[in-house]
Amino acid sequence: MINLTIDGVPVTVPKGTLLVEAARAVKQEIPIYCYHTKLGPAGLCRICMVEIEGMPKLQIACNTVATDGMVVRTQGERVEAARAVVLELFLVNHPLDCPICDKGGECDLQDYAMAYARGTSDVADPKLAKPKAVDLGPTIVLDEERCIVCQRCVRFDDIIADQRQLVVKDRGARDIIATASGRPYRHNFTGNVTELCPVGALTSKTYRFKSRPWDLNRTQTSCTHCAVGCQQFADVRYGKLLRTMLVEEDQISDGWLCDRGRYNVGFYESPDRLAQPLYRKNGALVQIGWDDAFILWSHAIRKAIAARGPASVGAIGGGRLTNEEAFALQHIFRRLGVNNLDWRAGSQRQATPGAKGAPLAAIDSAEVIVIAGESPAERAPVFWLRLHKAALRNGARIVRESGPQAARSAAGDATRVALVWDGIDLAVGRSYAQAFADVGELATFITSEQSNARGAEAMGMLPRSGPGYAPVQPGDDTAAMLDRARSGALDVLSIFGANPVRNGLDSAAASEALAKTPFVVVSELFMTETASMASLILPAKGAFEKYGTTTNLAGDLLPVNASLQAPEFVRSDFEMLCGLADQLEVAMPSFEEIDGAVVAHVAKAPQDFTLGDERFAGAAVGLAKRNGQAPILSGGGTWRHDPWLAEMRASGAAR
Amino acid sequence: MPVTKVLTAGIGEADLRDIETYRQRGGYRQWERAVRELQPADVLDLAEKSGLRGRGGAAFPTGRKWSFLPSEKHPRYLVCNCDEAEPGTFKDHMLLEESPHLVLEGMLIGSYGIACHHAFIYIRGEFKRGYEIFCAALEEARAAGYVGKNVFGSGYDIDVTVHRGAGAYICGEETGLLNSLEGKRGEPRLKPPFPAIEGLYGMPTVVNNVETLAYLVPIMERGAQWFSSVGTERSKGYKIVSVSGHVRNPGNYEVALGTTVREIIELAGGLRPGRTFAAVQPGGGSSACIFEEHLDWPYDYESMTKAGSMLGSGGFIVFDDTTDFVNAAYNLVRFFGHESCGQCTPCREGSSWMERVLERLVRHRGIPGDYEMLLRVSGSITGLNLCALGDSIEPFLKSVMLRFPEAFRSRIVAETVAR
Amino acid sequence: MSGETRDVMSRKLGPTCGATEGGSEEAEQQERSRDGGATSGSEASRRTARRKHQTMVEAEQNFAALLERLRPECETLMARYEQKRSALLPIVHLFQGHQGFVSLEAMNAAAEMLEMSPAEVEAVVSFYTLLYRRPVGKYVLQVCRGLSCSINGAEDIMAYFREKLGIGHLETTGDGLFSYEEVECLAACDRATCMEVNLEFVYDLTPAKVDELLESIRAGTYGVAPMTQTLPPGRTWEIAQNDQIASGRKSPGAVRVEDPDNAGGVGDASGTIMLDHLINRDVYMFGRTNERAVVDSRAVVETMGERADHAGH
Repeated sequence: MINLTIDGVPVTVPKGTLLVEAARAVKQEIPIYCYHTKLGPAGLCRICMVEIEGMPKLQIACNTVATDGMVVRTQGERVEAARAVVLELFLVNHPLDCPICDKGGECDLQDYAMAYARGTSDVADPKLAKPKAVDLGPTIVLDEERCIVCQRCVRFDDIIADQRQLVVKDRGARDIIATASGRPYRHNFTGNVTELCPVGALTSKTYRFKSRPWDLNRTQTSCTHCAVGCQQFADVRYGKLLRTMLVEEDQISDGWLCDRGRYNVGFYESPDRLAQPLYRKNGALVQIGWDDAFILWSHAIRKAIAARGPASVGAIGGGRLTNEEAFALQHIFRRLGVNNLDWRAGSQRQATPGAKGAPLAAIDSAEVIVIAGESPAERAPVFWLRLHKAALRNGARIVRESGPQAARSAAGDATRVALVWDGIDLAVGRSYAQAFADVGELATFITSEQSNARGAEAMGMLPRSGPGYAPVQPGDDTAAMLDRARSGALDVLSIFGANPVRNGLDSAAASEALAKTPFVVVSELFMTETASMASLILPAKGAFEKYGTTTNLAGDLLPVNASLQAPEFVRSDFEMLCGLADQLEVAMPSFEEIDGAVVAHVAKAPQDFTLGDERFAGAAVGLAKRNGQAPILSGGGTWRHDPWLAEMRASGAAR
Repeated sequence: MPVTKVLTAGIGEADLRDIETYRQRGGYRQWERAVRELQPADVLDLAEKSGLRGRGGAAFPTGRKWSFLPSEKHPRYLVCNCDEAEPGTFKDHMLLEESPHLVLEGMLIGSYGIACHHAFIYIRGEFKRGYEIFCAALEEARAAGYVGKNVFGSGYDIDVTVHRGAGAYICGEETGLLNSLEGKRGEPRLKPPFPAIEGLYGMPTVVNNVETLAYLVPIMERGAQWFSSVGTERSKGYKIVSVSGHVRNPGNYEVALGTTVREIIELAGGLRPGRTFAAVQPGGGSSACIFEEHLDWPYDYESMTKAGSMLGSGGFIVFDDTTDFVNAAYNLVRFFGHESCGQCTPCREGSSWMERVLERLVRHRGIPGDYEMLLRVSGSITGLNLCALGDSIEPFLKSVMLRFPEAFRSRIVAETVAR
Repeated sequence: MSGETRDVMSRKLGPTCGATEGGSEEAEQQERSRDGGATSGSEASRRTARRKHQTMVEAEQNFAALLERLRPECETLMARYEQKRSALLPIVHLFQGHQGFVSLEAMNAAAEMLEMSPAEVEAVVSFYTLLYRRPVGKYVLQVCRGLSCSINGAEDIMAYFREKLGIGHLETTGDGLFSYEEVECLAACDRATCMEVNLEFVYDLTPAKVDELLESIRAGTYGVAPMTQTLPPGRTWEIAQNDQIASGRKSPGAVRVEDPDNAGGVGDASGTIMLDHLINRDVYMFGRTNERAVVDSRAVVETMGERADHAGH
């Protein structure tokens, strides 16, 4: 540890700590533009000047390592004079269009100018003219005049996203941020640069000229577009979701968001959203009230159980619900004696890695990362970013060999190995688990295609395991349910946030199964292929409209908080299930009991489970079809109803 | 007259580009002696004892620079800096075109001194002819077995790569040069780490000026004592001074350090008839002017610093009474603005701002406050920059503004900037 | 990797490889004879479009052929360095030597060879003043505006050049013969005013020497070879005397180059860009004009006269 003094306060920091970080330890903020904790020092903006005893010149705090006995001053005449000069220089060419700038109110240049700059300016000459509103690509617009060339975006693109699409062109005062000629700025993480930008140079097309930051209501929640569960802020104004922002944290997202998580939120506003329960009467869909819906639903279930027993009833879903909803779902059906329960509606078989599971941060220290099955790049983008960081910065080797034996020999004698599996083919998972059984610190991850797949498993939405992975009377899995439905053995099938007709390999078979099931209930946001075949369609709330928790692929229990008011006749799956339970006279546990159960069950790592465990067996419904779109959206297909994404796609294609 | 021909010996008399001519005059003998008879440590010792300091501008002791290389880290590289673009400096240009073998021999000896096996020479893009001449010389030397595997049967391998720049003054800054050599934008790097620890390809690297390396050849031949006995207490040996501007015979003059400023002007034929002396910029575009009172000062590193300027690269521009110093100041500030890489704020924004103000002054469109603003801004950006370029704007500007305030103030005629 | 690419390239070229030169002209002639000389407007435009397409295909093939030819040399350059990325400047110098500028195709080819992103290559190329990303004249005249030359008459020489050529800094004459540029210190201050013609030095300039230089270049008797000049498909040299106000240029003879690729791109929505954009430097200075005035003495005198008038003298 290193002992130094910052502004008269003694500080102890680990060896190698930069002064800019050490100052934070004593709550002394040093202004920065180019420096960023996750990007490291660049030494470009020159605003972080500090005075160090024994050094004649001021030093930049972002590239000076704290040494023992150092006496640092972050205040005082010299430091403040230097800051004032740098700020004055930024403002030589930076336009003062703050009143129409999206960044106004949360702009580092504004803030520091208020705090440190001189009140007046000697600049009498016109400012340099540069291109404004440069269309960088599908997501981002760049204002070259506002750019202060801190190169955070360029460095993000290089060392974090590993894309090198954004660069500085030209030189001197004429330099600009640009992409290669004729190529749009386009990859999975572009939105992050808008947040890294300390000024209003890089702005999201979705948020341009929409709001002032002080008018926004901010809610922290978890992204449910994939199983990483990145923490994000939902910024809402007058009941409209205007943007989502990243939360700076190390545990889950490492401080980044993918573009899907950031921009695929426009569907809440879509006019296509289901707005009221729909019932198929004589072949046509009619709007009904919720009470009638619950009566129809419960009658169908009662009738089926009475006629052919609980085996004629089944429920699919949970991977896109909250933990609480998944718990309630299996609770009600198991109380009725129904064991045909499965969250697995796509190709994935298993979501919990069992005893060898690990927190996401375990990736950072891995020496070798083995990827079995599908790449996490699309399934869990921010997780992929973390893998990439381990490779780029920590020297981890990413191994993608054709088989477990080849991967094992490629990993050599590394003791810290991360094994990343897609959870699809149990035999593959098993063979990799066996091949790497001898590794000292094995951290295994399953990149689920549904955001709360792991939570659904912990809550017992599996045909052979109940809440907390407890053994239960076995029932049918999804494939078996659909098989039996095709032979006319299933009477009522309730589907929650799943779309087997679109995502099953055999779309026709799933379609046939639903056609042959007398009563199909689907809870959805949109009229999906599956919903359109249902007898009863229930309009559901999205994740920004309800409260609950979700479990990410590493088993972290994360909050889901409402930031938006749902449309009037739309209910959450939990509310629907309560209505059903009411009609069926099934006693629901209290909220406290559910909360307790969720916490307890998510915390349980099934010690005897391993990758590719037999207990998850059963035929896969089929490999999810990609259709050129991200597989995570396999459920409701919200991207199709997202005007923001549609716009981005259109403008992307135009370039 | 105090002119001494060491590096410049033979230039203009014989075709030193021809390896035969060069060899007849003793060429490559020192290289042979180094690899055959000396250890790298001996060469380093020689460089250190000679008191040779960097001739590119920073004047860092050459031997000390070499000694910073960490002994355990290999490979290491020597890079010869021939990106000569400092305004008023044209000595490397001459050496490259007139005596390429001397430059090469110096590089080879320097490489041996730091025990590296791959040396580079970075030649300014505009020196296309010089590049071709050097490449031809290198091929001759390679054919003669002076460059390559097992030179002179000593078991020592050395390869030399010639790299041509593409137009950027900032690539003369050693880390900008290394970036450029690595195929990147020639932007100076953040230091630390210094090139001696992490230079080319992240390995220990020494970057030396053409003239510095060339002096290794006569130092090898005549000994460290010969070199260090010339000059002043801390400025040893000889220096090629590029004299230009308002003199009768501009050109490169090799002198012992410590020769007076007046003597150098006299060497170049003195001022033109009917003109009177105004100032000298003694160390390239980055240096401050010195004036009449300094004419009899010795031209060495310490004296020039003491006079408020620097010896720098040895670009020696003489100004007589016809000089428009506002235009001259504008010329240099525009130069630095044009050549600023644009990475760091003070240099990028400061240079472009001052350039605009000076441009108005040149057009007699100054406004009240311009004079004070120029002095304040040029002064306050100094010391804040990532590399030395931004700090190079102030010296000349300030020196002439303080010396000839009226020249500047008389251009302040308008109330506001016409838009 | 590179071998594979080569195969793909040569397959793509196919048998037309040898027959590209003059191929389009021949086809055009055939077409003209078929039309019997009389062509309606729509047919003519159709033919222009077809010809444009042909030229583009041709240019693509020409580049592929050039790349094929230069690839071994590129490999040699790459082998000189411990990391092949170092060969970027040598490789773009090589392409500029053969094309007269560093074309987008060349940058993309370099990116592929050096395992860099295309944006990185452009970023590097745009940093250096001797690399042109757009076509320039056959003779690039670079007059030194450094301090030593400046105090020894460079400003008069530059004014003379501008007058004689009819163009300003970073512009090209309408016939595509000359590009004119005022450059920083060329390190030949002892022989001020100096300049470079296609990177060959010319010393001790006088107006008479300038006349002689321009005349001999125009007459084709000058000792320095012209730069290769390739115009990318769809672009034509064209004098735009009447567009000077729109372009903000004061000097006559400014050249417009049609650049369909750049439509809607950075800084220009019209798809028409001025040659200073083409050279890609000094572009964004002072809004509409980039005139970084090298102030010649006469202008100063005029200004002073103006001032005297205002003062009532």
